[in-house]
Amino acid sequence: MEAQKVDMFMISNAKFFESHQIPIIRDRLISIDDSKWVQISTIQFKDPTLSIVLSVIVGSFGVDRFVIGDTGLGIGKLLTCGGLGIWTIVDWFLIMGATREKNMEMLQRFLF
Amino acid sequence: MGLTRNRLYIFLGLSCFAGYIWLFVNYKYSEREIAACLFRHVTGVPCPSCGSTRSVLYFFNGEFFSSLYSNPLGLIVAAIMLLAPFWIAFDLVSKRDSLFRFYKNTEKVFQKSWVAIPAILLIIGNWIWNIIKAV
Repeated sequence: MEAQKVDMFMISNAKFFESHQIPIIRDRLISIDDSKWVQISTIQFKDPTLSIVLSVIVGSFGVDRFVIGDTGLGIGKLLTCGGLGIWTIVDWFLIMGATREKNMEMLQRFLF
Repeated sequence: MGLTRNRLYIFLGLSCFAGYIWLFVNYKYSEREIAACLFRHVTGVPCPSCGSTRSVLYFFNGEFFSSLYSNPLGLIVAAIMLLAPFWIAFDLVSKRDSLFRFYKNTEKVFQKSWVAIPAILLIIGNWIWNIIKAV
């Protein structure tokens, strides 16, 4: 794809990914076919800011995990009062990274 | 990255182990009320799964109806705690991933809206019941 399109994509979507993943995504996007552009540019990524807000407010019900698609872990968190409160606090620090990982998985389905 | 078979088994195994320790502590010091729920400490209102520890303890004592009254979710927790260690052991010995596939399939089922919406309503109903009971 054209470098200009890719750079536009990177500028508007950089916050959805880990910083170390960004160069890899950029290289990969440049090398792939133009026909995938429509699909890639319309993927709905999960916002890490939303998940940290949900994690702080309703994290003990596992809502943050449900939202990013970790349904199983969400159920686990819900059934155990947020892992006796410990898992809730641990997730305040992990959830943004987990959301970015989920976004990367979502993008990878189109990239490779 | 993401959740692999081994990661799930380690996580589930450790959770079950922690759960049994938690049950033992609650059983040993049953005269004292140990409430770990963060939500309940902050707001003073019980959360949907408050009372599951008592429920699981009742279940292991054979008092099925007290368990159901204390919190129906406790029965699910008790079932997971009973089954998971054996299922993990079976998978590890026979080098299969049946539990991991079951977990992934359950996730997919719960992501469908006709399962998710009733499940959410049930949880909210249970929550209201919990508040009325004042666990």
